Amino acid sequence: MAMKDRMRNVAGRFRAPATHDLRQRVVALEAEVQECRQLNLRLAELTDVVTALLVPLARADEAELREVLAKYHESL
Amino acid sequence: MRSPLSRLGRVSSVSVDADGISARSRREVVLDVSFDGRRVYSFWLHRDGTPTGAPGTWQVPWPGSLHRFLSGTTRLTLAVHESQEAVFDQEVTLGGGAGRIAVVNAAGQPLSLDKSLRLVQTFDSRSEENVRPLLDAIDHVLAGLEQAGIHAFLAYGTLLGAVRDGRLIGHDSDADLGYVSEHEHPVDAIRESFRVQRALTRAGYRITRYSALAFKVDVVESDGVVRGLDVFGGFMRDGYLHLMGEIRTPFKRSWVTPLGTATLEGRSFPVPADTDRFLTATYGRSWRVPDPAFHFATPRSTHRRFDGWFRGIRVRRPLWDRVYSRRPAPSATPSDLARWVADREDPTTPVVDLGCGTGSDALWLARRGTPVTGLDFVRRGFERAEEEAVAEGLDARFLACNLLELRSVLATGALVAADRGPRIVIARHLADHLGAGARRNAWTAARMMLHDGGRLYLEFLIQRGDGRLARKQRARVRTPKAVARELRALGATIVERETVRIPRSDRGGGSPAKTCRMVATWQ
Repeated sequence: MAMKDRMRNVAGRFRAPATHDLRQRVVALEAEVQECRQLNLRLAELTDVVTALLVPLARADEAELREVLAKYHESL
Repeated sequence: MRSPLSRLGRVSSVSVDADGISARSRREVVLDVSFDGRRVYSFWLHRDGTPTGAPGTWQVPWPGSLHRFLSGTTRLTLAVHESQEAVFDQEVTLGGGAGRIAVVNAAGQPLSLDKSLRLVQTFDSRSEENVRPLLDAIDHVLAGLEQAGIHAFLAYGTLLGAVRDGRLIGHDSDADLGYVSEHEHPVDAIRESFRVQRALTRAGYRITRYSALAFKVDVVESDGVVRGLDVFGGFMRDGYLHLMGEIRTPFKRSWVTPLGTATLEGRSFPVPADTDRFLTATYGRSWRVPDPAFHFATPRSTHRRFDGWFRGIRVRRPLWDRVYSRRPAPSATPSDLARWVADREDPTTPVVDLGCGTGSDALWLARRGTPVTGLDFVRRGFERAEEEAVAEGLDARFLACNLLELRSVLATGALVAADRGPRIVIARHLADHLGAGARRNAWTAARMMLHDGGRLYLEFLIQRGDGRLARKQRARVRTPKAVARELRALGATIVERETVRIPRSDRGGGSPAKTCRMVATWQ
């Protein structure tokens, strides 16, 4: 947190405790919403790995397996 | 707020000196700066300037990117962009240089500043022959996207130029494409973008991904200039158009598709169905009036949404791209950690250097007969080492691996682990450069690579000191306890830990810097 924000926080605590509390809760909520949003990319990445690799790997022999992995790696 | 338009303001009292340009105008005005008759950049007097104290007078400093050119003489013209009325036109001498001021690149090609004040070759300094490959590239990329099932269209500055004048905008430097996915959920739109990138890679395009929903396609033009074609993904959700780059606005799908066409430099290209609404969403109602210094004003909530959904795979990338931009040569001497590992381990056990940088340690180990894999997210960093390894016929390979991208981590982990047997993974100054998410990914990759046994060797900063080392590397201090906790959370056992003081000669004096060496295994 920037020094300015910290000072505002300290000042806010004395001036209007209820508003200060709400501000804190909004900051925490925003962080939590952002965390939830970040799950979208994680889920998409995991699904991409599974869908792009699972079938080719299940069918591949040792040499093909390496080729499938190398091709996927190259495409990133 | 969208831009108020420059009107023909009465601009007076113009003066130019080494600090910048000052002018008086009560109204906001966009001004073009030309050197010897060629436009070099444009600015908004009030937005980009600071009041000088004299009534209605503002001073705009020279942009940092121009500083190195500003030594010599030029005929400097300042013109109101909208009317092209010259409000200043004089020979000006800046700095101590004797010749004419020339804003050009190493090959002597003219450069100007784009709206982000980056030095680029803008279209106004390029011939038709130069521009043709870009139009070919737009066609080519559009065809590739079409084959992948994506109906893309001209977007942003390229759309604006096409609709307004049928031409590329003179002060623009790249071409932008966009598409609106059929999907309405971020996860589905991201997966589609991954799939499209794969299709384009297979078709031979070189792609750089910016975010989970936008990437750049590199195009080599006739004079050797590599130009990026940006492809911005978008989708409709809850009655809003979301388009990377960055638009979020109430919109209807029927205003986008079925696509229409517009002419650009004599060729027909697809554009959104309702270009007026689309350009209004992009540039505001005043989109018809040219403004080369236009800045986007995006609501914070839109940034937050797009950042949360799609971004985070290029954190600190610009810093490392800069560090490795000159393809540094690998050092002939290895790090102390590499020596330490080499003293303790069998030289035939394969080593993976996670975050290998210039590849110095990887090369040194390979020269001792150890099979080595060097991994880093900036290819330029290890290119020289890769060339040396090939020339010397060493058992060393170098792969790009982005620890901020889970797909890259899993694919690299699997690729390395496809070769069976125990190995050593080195992660030198990785824990102190990565954020928590990327560290978790790094330890996941190490666990995969050590599937058949072996050890992970870590070294990271635990006390900064005031020496050059930490400052130069921008490393952040970590506590051994926290790093050990992260590793244990993924099933690792910490088998060794020691503190190393950085010798005075290596850190340039001051209070001592300390690093932690840690060895972990997975059973």
